[in-house]
Amino acid sequence: MILIAIIIGCIIGTVIGLYVPVISYTYSVYLAIAIIAALDSVFGGIVATIKKEFKVTTFISGFFGNAILAILLSILGEKLNVNIYLAAIIVFVGRMFGNLGTIRRYYADKFIENAEKRKLHIKNKKENKKENKTTNIEEKRED
Amino acid sequence: MKIKQKIKIRTDKPYIEMAIIVLFVTIILIAVLLIQFKTVNEVNETDIENLRDTELRELISSWKSKYEDTQEKLDEVNNKIDEYNAKIATNEESSEIINSELQQTEILLGKTKVTGEGVIVTLTDTNDSRIESSDLLELINELKYAGAEAISINGIRVLAMTDIVDIGDLYVMIKPSQRISSPYVVKAIGNQTYLTSTLSMKDTGYIDRYTNSGKNVKLDKQNNIQIPAYSGTLEIQYMKEVTEE
Repeated sequence: MILIAIIIGCIIGTVIGLYVPVISYTYSVYLAIAIIAALDSVFGGIVATIKKEFKVTTFISGFFGNAILAILLSILGEKLNVNIYLAAIIVFVGRMFGNLGTIRRYYADKFIENAEKRKLHIKNKKENKKENKTTNIEEKRED
Repeated sequence: MKIKQKIKIRTDKPYIEMAIIVLFVTIILIAVLLIQFKTVNEVNETDIENLRDTELRELISSWKSKYEDTQEKLDEVNNKIDEYNAKIATNEESSEIINSELQQTEILLGKTKVTGEGVIVTLTDTNDSRIESSDLLELINELKYAGAEAISINGIRVLAMTDIVDIGDLYVMIKPSQRISSPYVVKAIGNQTYLTSTLSMKDTGYIDRYTNSGKNVKLDKQNNIQIPAYSGTLEIQYMKEVTEE
């Protein structure tokens, strides 16, 4: 269901994105920071689901709040003549890498677990077969 | 069967809500991302090089200030040109007036060669009587009284400060330093009738009086008398113009 939602969202988003007019280059910096903040929130949400701590309110507030805050901070930086958006990018991208690492480790562990399970499963099967054979032989011997 | 079961398990209310939220979030994210891609692409296409926003702004501001400076300079120069034009116009007018005034004063002063109708009075020494400076002075006085505008004696212009004195018995001197001798030809430009009538009044007129006293005086009318310019220089040493406040 969520996968379907993501796919539909991608399609609708593409359509909207293609038909919305281009914004001025001056504001594209703020938009970029907003995008990075939103991406950070998304990865944070994924990590939270993995850890089973996911809360909808936290996710939504983080998604919009971070983006808006990042934009406001970079505007403030522009007014103060300090490149605050650099700090925002460092923080968000750093966190994104952290979250991505967590996700990667989780799935890697899962993969290894699965692989071991499969091995065990195969081993068990083989042992079962062997046991069967031996029993058969024993039966034959008895005969 | 297993997949169907899973879906069935996850169709509870909060799950659907979350799916909707995820849908919206993805829509917004993708749309914004695409907008950003488009803007970046467009900027690259229009190719304002790899200049940063701030650099461009600096460039614009510097060009703006330069433009303003040059505009100011242009305005100044234009104003100056206007001023100069106005001055030139006034100068031309005033110089014309001054020129005409100068010409008039020069004519009056006697610095120019003049011509016009007038009379010629010739005084000649005879054996009996000599012409003296006083005679010439009186003649000049009479001529001036009759309205002569320019007078000359033997080709020497008579000015306001001209002095006539005797030197010995033979010469009359016109100041400054011009010696003349008989015959004395006095030319005067002015109204011919006034001049002649004044000079040749019966008995009391200059000519009558002098001829009666035995001096040789001759009066000629002429329509085209030429009187030369004053040849010396006019210098002012002591007098100054009084400026009334």
